[in-house]
Amino acid sequence: MLGTKIANFENKPKPSAKMGVLNSEKRSDQWSLLLVDVGLNRSRKSFAQLFAHFAPLLKSFAQASRHEGWFPGLSEDLVQEVMIKVWQKAAGYNPEKASATTWIYTVARNCRIDMLRRKSNTQHLPLENEDFWHEPDEETPVTLLRQKRSEDKVQASLAQLPPEQDEILRKVYLEGKSHAEASEELGLPLGTVKSRVRLALQKMQILVAPEFRDELL
Amino acid sequence: MSIPKHHPDPAMLVEFSAGTLGTAQSICVAAHLHFCEHCRNEVLRLDQIGSQLLSQSEPETVDSNLFDSVMSKIDELPEEQEIKFDKEDLRFPLPVAKLFNKAEVVPEWKKMSSSVDVAQLVTGQSDYEVALHKICAGGKTPKHSHSGKEYTVVLEGSFSDESSVYSEGDFILRKEGDEHQPMGAQNGECICLSALEAPIKLSSPFGFLMKPWLRLNPM
Ligand SMILES: [Zn+2]
Repeated sequence: MLGTKIANFENKPKPSAKMGVLNSEKRSDQWSLLLVDVGLNRSRKSFAQLFAHFAPLLKSFAQASRHEGWFPGLSEDLVQEVMIKVWQKAAGYNPEKASATTWIYTVARNCRIDMLRRKSNTQHLPLENEDFWHEPDEETPVTLLRQKRSEDKVQASLAQLPPEQDEILRKVYLEGKSHAEASEELGLPLGTVKSRVRLALQKMQILVAPEFRDELL
Repeated sequence: MSIPKHHPDPAMLVEFSAGTLGTAQSICVAAHLHFCEHCRNEVLRLDQIGSQLLSQSEPETVDSNLFDSVMSKIDELPEEQEIKFDKEDLRFPLPVAKLFNKAEVVPEWKKMSSSVDVAQLVTGQSDYEVALHKICAGGKTPKHSHSGKEYTVVLEGSFSDESSVYSEGDFILRKEGDEHQPMGAQNGECICLSALEAPIKLSSPFGFLMKPWLRLNPM
C-alpha cells in the first residue's frame, strides 16, 4: 500500500531533470489508474481492487473520528457511503489535480460531514458538503509536476514532524476536532495550537506565500 | 478576474480541508476559493495531509459482505439528476448559486436602507445569518460595530471602508469590536456574501433608522 508506493518511487533510477519532468506529467500510481478506469469504463474489476485497498483504510479513518454524535457502529456505513460515491463520481476524478488517495480522502471527509449533519440536524439541508468543492472548469490547472512534488514533500515531511505537531494534525484531520476543541482538550491556548499547525505547514511547505499571511497570529 | 488581496487565514483553510469548519464559514471560504487560485492550491496541498493520514491508517478488516452490499446498492442507484445551471445562475460561485438561484424558495431582495438591499439565504444552520448584500454605486451603509464575527466575500463589484478597497473575491473578517462604514464603489453596484455571527450595534445616533441591521434572523 503506502509502502509499495514509496518503494516504487525509491527503486526508480534517478532520472535526469528533463526526464523527471516528462515522467511526472503522467500520474502512474496504480490507484489513480484504477480510479480513472472506473470513471471512464465503469470497470467493476478495477473498482473491486480499489475497494480491497481503500475500504479497510476508510474504516480505520472512520473509527478515528471523535466527532460529537459519532459512534464506531457508523464506521462501515461510512465506508459504504464513500465507496458508493467513489463509483458515482469517478468520472469527475482528474488525475492532473490529485492522487486517487487525496481524492478519496476528500470524498470521505465530505461523506463524514454529511452523515454527521444528517444525524444532528433536523433542519432542511440545502447543501451537501461536496457542493463546496465544485469549481468552474476554466480554472488554471495546477501542473502535475508541482502537485507531485508537493505530495512527495508532504509525505516525507509528515513523518518527521515533532510529536506535538503531528498530534494536532491528527486531532484535526482524523478526530475531526476544530482548533478550539483541540486547544481545550490539550489544555493549550488557542494561539499555541494555531502556531503548532502553522509550523507544521511551513515544514511541509504547504504555505507557499507566507508574506501575505504575516498579519496573522 | 482580478486576483483577491484578502484571504482567509491558514487556520481556516486547515479547518476547511479537515472538514471541521462550520457551514456558514465554509460557504464563505468556498466563495473565496472560486476567485482565488492561490488558496485553491493551498487547500489542495492541505488535503494531502488528510490523504497521507488516511493512507497511513492501520487497515481495519471490513465485514466480508460489505463489498457485495455496496455492489447491490450501486446496481439500484437511480440515474443521477444533475442540477442544470445557466449563465445567470453561475453569476455567483456554485454554493452561493445553489442557495440563491436554485433555492427551493428563491430568496427575495429586500430594502434594508436607501442604498443597501439584502437577501437572506437558507443554509440549514443557525449559528450565523448568511445573506447577500447589494450596495448601490456610491451607496453608504450605516456605520456599525460588531458584537460578533462577520465574514464577507465580495462577489461582484467593489466596496471600500476606512482601511481598504475590497474587490471581487476578497475575504474579509470583522471581529468583535471592529467598527466600520463600508461604501459601495462609484462605478457600479457591489454584491457581497456575508455571514454574521451575532447582532451588530449601531454607533450612529440615527441608528434606529437602520434597524434591519440589528435583526439577527438565522434561517
Ligand atoms: Zn485566497
